[in-house]
This record gives sequence, structure tokens and C-alpha cells, in this order.
Amino acid sequence: MEFCARHRRAVLASAAAAVLCAGGGYLFATRPHAEPPNPVPYPSQVLDVRYLGEEGPRTGTPEGSFTFAVRVTAGSGPTVTVLRISQPYSGLSLTSVPKPPFRTKKGFGHKIVVTMNVTECANTPRNAGLPFLDVTLRNTRAIEDHSYILGERYAHDFAEALQVACGNELSSLAKQENAAGITAARSAGSHYVDRTNRP
Amino acid sequence: MPGKGLLIVRQRSLIAITAALAAGALTLTACGSRDDDGGSDSGSEGTTVVIGVDAPLTGDLSALGLGIKNSVDLAAKTANKEKTVEGITFKVEALDDQAQPSSGQQNATKFVADKDVLGVVGPLNSSVAESMQKVFDDAKLTEVSPANTNPALTQGTKWNGGEKARPYKSYFRTATTDAIQGPFAAQYVFNDAKKKKVYVIDDKKTYGAGLAATFTDEFKKLGGKVVGTQHIDPDTKDFSAVATQVKSSGADVVYYGGEYPQAGPLSKQIKAAGAKIPLVGGDGIYSADFIKLSGASGTGDLATSVGAPVEDLPSAKEFVANYKSAGYKEAYEAYGGYSYDSGWAIIEAVKKVVEDNDGKLPDDARAKVTEAMQNVSFDGVTGKVSFDEFGDATNKQLTVYSVEGGDWKAVKSGTYTG
Repeated sequence: MEFCARHRRAVLASAAAAVLCAGGGYLFATRPHAEPPNPVPYPSQVLDVRYLGEEGPRTGTPEGSFTFAVRVTAGSGPTVTVLRISQPYSGLSLTSVPKPPFRTKKGFGHKIVVTMNVTECANTPRNAGLPFLDVTLRNTRAIEDHSYILGERYAHDFAEALQVACGNELSSLAKQENAAGITAARSAGSHYVDRTNRP
Repeated sequence: MPGKGLLIVRQRSLIAITAALAAGALTLTACGSRDDDGGSDSGSEGTTVVIGVDAPLTGDLSALGLGIKNSVDLAAKTANKEKTVEGITFKVEALDDQAQPSSGQQNATKFVADKDVLGVVGPLNSSVAESMQKVFDDAKLTEVSPANTNPALTQGTKWNGGEKARPYKSYFRTATTDAIQGPFAAQYVFNDAKKKKVYVIDDKKTYGAGLAATFTDEFKKLGGKVVGTQHIDPDTKDFSAVATQVKSSGADVVYYGGEYPQAGPLSKQIKAAGAKIPLVGGDGIYSADFIKLSGASGTGDLATSVGAPVEDLPSAKEFVANYKSAGYKEAYEAYGGYSYDSGWAIIEAVKKVVEDNDGKLPDDARAKVTEAMQNVSFDGVTGKVSFDEFGDATNKQLTVYSVEGGDWKAVKSGTYTG
């Protein structure tokens, strides 16, 4: 009886240990793995830049400059720093207030006043349909160049300002080009538009 | 022996507790694994809603079409697995339009005839969409394209003259339009790539000709010169005549409005004719197949495509992983993220309709789903998904890609915020 009792105790203990080990091992093996955290988004994915409209000329800016405001708003994620604001046309220079670099506050709309000065009328877009504003952004993920296309109202105001600043020069340039036959190729724009919807 | 008796009781209790714990643990883990193994068709009870897919599943453009089909399939499977709409099981039925408007129209009629179809994703081609829109609209059946970019589909034929008018209330798209894509490409080519003389070629189709027009318009406004224009026949692959014309024109860049099956050989033949200048196109050439067809000389060619690169978006991480684990044979390609979001927009609209009708589909479910689509808003694979008053996506991003090292590499992204 003594032997059997001792034996049974050992068997039961071993069985319990085996069940515990097996259960524990199974639970460990099938434990839910923590999802790796989502990577930080690229800065352009969380930064919104909207055209607000023309502003009065800033003191000290040359005649014919174009001053306007944009609202910069950062969404979720770590702080985005605006390192640079630029524009792609070689005949224009750009300044802004505040001057980059500046940090954006999450959810807050920062008003940025931008002034463009014409340095060379020949190298400005005469009537760009969708001009860009280029920005360089930085957050903990990356430094990124991104273009914001501010839309038709911006394009209209921009073209009008250029017309005021360079009207005579642009007109004479266009006349010279037409006279030289540089744009003598068929007017693809009007040609295509006619049959845009005819497959 | 009271001590021994007590020990036995304790041992029995320990065994019972251990067994109960083990049984409980196994039950819990079994419950957990059931979730993991849940297939796309779980929730077999209840109502089945069919999401149609129309895309070119065979032929030259099938790489893009199959990516669309698979991505919508993934959206339906995910919704079923997560029981996104209680009592509804989503099923995907895909029809092949072979990029032909007549096939697209026949497919639209088939979808309309199937009462279980409450929404359709597609098509790829704008010309095919034109032939389908009225059929769907007459039946109040909602259609969401992940790829159509021709502006007239949502804004009417007079969109370029400033008279925007939505022709069909049942048509939506998640891709942005060529009203932005063409100018975006022109700005990049003129300002960043510093190309001033362009030769414009198109395939005479709705998408290609429309895109070439919006590019040309902006390029000229910027001060660029169009030194030649030509149309090609998309049914041939011999472009030697136009390649010679490009060479003699003195162009420093070629813009092509069309798709990759023609763009690839065209690029190759232009270079072979001696014009070592880049070919630039839109989302229709942004495919791995373009790189195969254009060969090594295609290095430096450029394409714009809708959206930011999917791989760069944190919101797309799960989609990319799930697409891979689902084991689809074909890549999701240029429109995968947009296709998933298009399918999910339909799912969200169905959800809204069901919830507003005490958990059941109403009799006029199609009309109600179309109504609900207008107000759909969710965080999708490609970012925030919602539609403006024309049915266009409110999320308007574009990216320029360059062929480098046998692959497309993103070189510049832009966001339209007007």
C-alpha cells in the first residue's frame, strides 16, 4: 500500500507537471505577438498647405511683387519642420514670414505669408494652370521635398500678378516667338480637346 | 493517517485545478486560432452582396486588370473575416472587358441584371467607362473606378471651359484626374527636368488623347515649345516612322498619352532611331511591363501616377502584407491600393444602408447604396477616402517616377490642395 501510494503520487505529480509544461508551452508558442508599431508617416502625408489668398504688399518689397498667404497644418505623427519654401521658376525669387526653418504644431493652422519677386520676366510662367509651391519637410522619418499644387484661385492670382509685373515684356516676348515661328507646330491643345471624349 | 488523507485530497485538488487550467487554456487558444483561420466566406448565414469587378483580365493590359481584381477580392475577404457588415457576406464577381468599350458595356448590362450586385469596381480605361456609365446610372447601380483619369467622366465634356457638370450621380472614382495629372507632368518636365521642346504622341483614345491635351496645354503655358505631334495606331507595334519624325524634330523630350503596351516599344524605337531623349507618360505606362518592353534604353523614362507610392504609406502597410499573405499570383500594380479603397467604399456604403434599415438591406438597396457613397469617408490604404460633389476623390496626390536600375523609382510627389 505504502509503495503504491508513493508511486501514484509520483505519477500524478509527473502528469500534472507534464500538463502544466505542455499547456504553458502551447500558450507561450501561440501567445499573441505584439504588432510592430506603424512606421512614422512621411512628413508630406500629414502636412496640409492651403492657399488663403492675396495679401497686401509687405513693407520694403519691390514694386510688382506678389504677396499671398497659405495655411500650413500638420496632422497626426511627430512634429514636422518646414525647412524650405521655394518655387520652381528661375525668373522669380521667394521669401516668407516666418522664415524657414520653423516647426509646426499638431492640429494648428500656421499662417505663412509668402512674397514672390520677379527677377527676370523672360523666365517666369506666363499663365501656368497649376503652379507649384515646393517645400522641404523634415520629421523623424525623413527629409522630403514635396510640391503643393494650390489650385485654380492661386494660379489665377499668380498669373495676374505676373501680368502686372511683366505685362509688356511678356507680350513682346510672345510676339517675337510667334514671328519666329517657334510655336508653329499644330496647336495640340485645341486639337485634342475637341475629341477628348471620343474614343 | 489523517495527514496522508489530507495529502491525497490536496493532490486531487491540484490535479483538478491543473486539468481545469489546461482545459481552459486550450479552449482559449482554440478560440484564438479560430479567428486566425477564419476564411473569406465566414458568416455564411445572412445575405450575400456581390461586388462586381470590370477590368481587362486578359490581353495587353491584364497586369493592371488582375491587380485591380485581386485587390477588390482582398477587400471583400477582409470585410467577411472582420464581419464589417453584420449579416452580410460579400462576394466578388469579376468580368473581363479586354479594354474594349463594347465588352465593358455588355458587362455592365450583366451586372445590372444580377440583383445581388450592389456596386461595381472598375473599369481601368476611361473609354470603357464612357460606355458603362449610363447603363449603371439607369439602374442606380454605383460604380467606383480606381483608375479612370479622364476629367469629363465626372465633370462633363465642358470641364475645360469652366462649365463643370456631373453627368452621372452613380459614378465615383478614387484616382485623381488628368486635369491635374497632365499639368503636374508638364510642370515637372519643364521646371525640374528642364526640357523645353516636346514631341507629343497619343493613341487617339479617350484617356491618351485627353492626357496629352492637358499636358500640352500646361507645357505651352509654361513657355515650352511643342515641336511636333503625332497619333499612333494602338493595334500595331511598329512605330519606326514616328520615331524618325521625333529624331528629326529636335525635341528634347517625348510625351506619350496612352498605355504601356505601346509606350514600351515606342520608347525603344525612338531611342533606336537615334533620339536619346526620355519618353514621359502618365499612369497608363506606370507598370513593370513598360520596363520590360522598353528595354535597357528606357532608363531615364518618366511616368506620373496617381497617389503617393503605396509602399511609403503607413496606411498601406497592412494592405501590402495581407496581399502578400493572400498568395495572389499577380502584383497589385499601380491601382492596387485604389482598388482596395474602391471596394471598401462600396462596403462602407452597404454598411450605412444596412444600419439605417434595422440591420437588413432595403428593397431599393442599389439606390440607397449610391446615395450613401456620396458621404462615405474612411481612412483607406491610400489615405482619407471620400468624394467631392462630382464624385471625384478628395485625396489628390501624384508622383513622378523614373526608370532606374530596371525599376520605377519615385522622384517627386505633389498634392493638389486647391
